[in-house]
Amino acid sequence: MKLELDIINIKDVQFGEKTAISDSVLYINRGELKGLLQQDKRFKKVEIQIAHPGERCRILRVSDVIEPRAKIKGGEDFPGVLGRGTAGEGNTCVLRGVAVAMSDDSEGRDLSRDPNGEIIDMSGPGAEFSPYGKTHNVVVLSYPADGTSLNDYRIALKFAEVKTAAYIGKAGKNLKPYKVEVYDLPRQGKTPKELEVLPKVAYIFQIFSAQFQALENEPILYGASIERFVPTILHPNEVLDGAIVNPYRGMGIETYQIQNHPIIKELYRRHGKDLCFAGVVLTVAHNNEAESERSTNMASNLAKWVLGADGAILTKSGGGAPEVNLAQTANRCEEIGVKTALAIWEIAADGSPESSTLFNSPGIDALVSMGTPMVTVSLPAMERIIGRAIDLPNAPSIGGQTERLARLIRGVVGQLGNSDLVTVRS
Amino acid sequence: MSEDLKIIHYLNQFFGGQGGEDKAYTSPQIKEGPIGPGRVLQDALATRGKIVATVVCGDNYFAEKIEGAAEEITQLLKPYEADIVIAGPAFNAGRYGIACGAVCKAVQDKLNIPAVTGMYKENPGVDLFKKDVYIVETEDSVKGMEATFSKMVSIACRFAAHEKIGTPIEEGYFPRGFITNKPVDKTAAERVVSLLLAKLHGLPFESEVPLPKYDRVNPAPALKNLASAKIALVTDGGLVPKGNPDRIQARRATRFGSYDIRGLSVLSPGEYEVSHIGYDSALVVQDPHRLVPLDIMRDLEIEGFIGELHETFYSTSGGVSSFETAKNMGRAIASQLLSNDAAGALLTST
Repeated sequence: MKLELDIINIKDVQFGEKTAISDSVLYINRGELKGLLQQDKRFKKVEIQIAHPGERCRILRVSDVIEPRAKIKGGEDFPGVLGRGTAGEGNTCVLRGVAVAMSDDSEGRDLSRDPNGEIIDMSGPGAEFSPYGKTHNVVVLSYPADGTSLNDYRIALKFAEVKTAAYIGKAGKNLKPYKVEVYDLPRQGKTPKELEVLPKVAYIFQIFSAQFQALENEPILYGASIERFVPTILHPNEVLDGAIVNPYRGMGIETYQIQNHPIIKELYRRHGKDLCFAGVVLTVAHNNEAESERSTNMASNLAKWVLGADGAILTKSGGGAPEVNLAQTANRCEEIGVKTALAIWEIAADGSPESSTLFNSPGIDALVSMGTPMVTVSLPAMERIIGRAIDLPNAPSIGGQTERLARLIRGVVGQLGNSDLVTVRS
Repeated sequence: MSEDLKIIHYLNQFFGGQGGEDKAYTSPQIKEGPIGPGRVLQDALATRGKIVATVVCGDNYFAEKIEGAAEEITQLLKPYEADIVIAGPAFNAGRYGIACGAVCKAVQDKLNIPAVTGMYKENPGVDLFKKDVYIVETEDSVKGMEATFSKMVSIACRFAAHEKIGTPIEEGYFPRGFITNKPVDKTAAERVVSLLLAKLHGLPFESEVPLPKYDRVNPAPALKNLASAKIALVTDGGLVPKGNPDRIQARRATRFGSYDIRGLSVLSPGEYEVSHIGYDSALVVQDPHRLVPLDIMRDLEIEGFIGELHETFYSTSGGVSSFETAKNMGRAIASQLLSNDAAGALLTST
C-alpha cells in the first residue's frame, strides 16, 4: 500500500471571498463553510473564528483537533464518515501549518472535570509546549438545536470536524506540493529478501479506554463505533490517512496526532534500515474482565502469528485503568515471545515512583516516559477568548492569569509519542 | 560575601571523638569550630564558608527521643544564626542516619536554615527523610569522604543562595519525590523505537519509568462457615450518600466513609451519588447495587447463606490514588472490620 502525502505549507489563514490558497495564505469563505456545517439540523448555529500563533488568545473546551486534508486520488476523505471507500492509498493533500479546533458548547465535558475543558493557548508557555499553539487554528463553534440530545450534539461535532477538515483541505488540491511524503509498505508476505534479516516490529495501538463510555454510534474506525471492539489489523497508511477519527472521550490524543502518528512515522523512518515495520494492531482497553482478556489475547496473537512480529511498541489511551490492559497485553506478548517497549505518560498521583504506573511485571522492563499530565503550567492572561467561558465563584477567571494542569492544555502531554517531555524526579 | 557563610556541623559520638557504643547516651553538646571529619568538610568548603560550631550527640540518646533531641539541638545551635547545617554523612549507620535526617528537617522547619546530609542507600534515614531533606548518596563505609563532602557543600551553598539545584542524577542526592516535566532532545516516539531495538538485539537498555514495588498479597483462606460469618461490603468505586457528607475526593482520595445500612434492604437511587474521576458512573447512579450489591446480600442473609451483613458499607474513591494512601486506608478499614467481628469482606471495584 502506497500513500503519498502532498504537503502544502500554509503561512497564514484569513477570511476571504473564496476558499482558496494564494502565496501560502489560506483564505476561507466563512459563509460557505458555515452554510455547509449548518446543513446538519442538530445544530442551531455555527460560527467560525481564526486564531493565530503569537496572538494573546485562548480557545476553550476543545473537544478535538484535526489537520485539514483532502484526497486527490485513490480514495475518499474520512471514508465511512463522509463518504464510502477506503483510506491509505493514492495521494492526499495536507495543509501543513493549519489545524481545525472544535470548541464544544455542551455542558460539562465530563472527561476533563473542568468547566472550560481542554484549552489551546496561542501564546505563552501553553503555546510553547503544544503543537497547536504553533498552527493557525480554524475554530468551529457550534450550538445544539433545540431538542438535540447531548449524545447527538457530540456526534454532530465529530461530523462537523471532518467536514471542515475536508472542505478546507480541498483548497490545496490543485497546488504543487512543497514536498511529498511517501509511505509505502508491501503486503504481507511480499517483504523484500534483504529486509528479512531485520527485526519485525508491530505497533499495538490502544485507541480508546472504555473506562468512559464511548458515545452511542460514534464514528471512529471507518465510521464504525468501537463498542464491543475486538482487535483488528490495519495497514499503517490507513491510520495516517483518515480511517480513524479520535473518540470524543479519548484522553491525551487528538485526531491531528493520529493523522501524523509519531510512532508510525518513526517506524516508517527506520523501516528497511534497522527494522522491518510489520503493521498496526488496533485495540481498545475494555472495562470488564472477559473483553479485556479477549482483546489482550487477540492483540498479542495478531502481532505474533499474523504479522510475524519479533517486537511490539505499545501505547495507551485514557487514564489509569487502561494501563492495566496495556500491561496485560505486553505481558501476553512477552509470554509468547514478542518483545515489548511501552511509551506511557505517568499519572504519578503523588509524585512518588510508587505511583508512576499501575503495574510491575517482570517482562515489562522497557518503558519510555511521555511526561506527566499532572503538573501545573502557569498561563498568562489573554485578550481574546474563543468558546463559552464558565467562571466558577472563588476561582480565577479562565481568561486571566491561571494555573492549569498540563492535561487540560491540548497537545502539551500527548499519548502517541509527539512529546519531547520526560518526567524528572527531584 | 559567600566567605561569610556560617556552617554548623552535626556528628554522632563516634565521629565527634567521644567514643564508641559506651558513649552512645551522650547528650547533645556544642563546640566551636570543626571536629574530626569537620576538617575534611572545611577543606571542601575552602573559602566559601566557615564551620563555626559542631554539635555532637550520642546515637542512643537521639534514637530514644527523636523529636525531643532534634528540638534540643535546634535550640543549641539557634544562637549561632548559621546559614547552613550539614549533618554527617552517616554512611550505613542506621541510628546516626535517622538523627542526621531529623536534625536537618528540624532546623529547616523551625529555623528556616537550609540543611544537607549524606547516607548510604540502605540507611533507614533515607526513606524517612528524603522527601524533606537533600540526602547525598554515599558509600556504605567512610571511603570517599572528600567526594561526598564536595557534593554536599555544592548543594548546600546553592540551596542557601536560592540558586538552582540540578536533578538527583546530576547532583548525587536521593530523589525527593517532586515530579516535573523536562524536555529532552528526542521525542518519545524516537526513544521508544530505539529502546525496543536495543532490547531485540540483546543490548543493554535503560527504562525511563521506575516501576512500583507492590506487596504480593496472598488471598486469605476461604471462610469455613459462611452461614455464621459477618460479611462487609467495601468498594473503591466512590459510592457515597447524596451530598457526599465526608467529602470523599473524586481523585487522590485520602478519606473513606462508612455508611449505615442497618434495616435497609435496598440502596435507593437518588439517595446516593458517586465521587470518582476514573469511570463513567451513570450506571451506578442509576442503580447503586451495580457497585454495592446490598439487595443480593440481604437476600443471602435472609436465606441464611451468610450469617449477617456488616452494619455499614465502606467506600472510597480509587481514582488516581497513590499507593501509600490506598494501603493505609485499606489497613484502617480492615482494622475497623476486625474490631467489629466481620469475618469477610466483599470488595467491589470499577
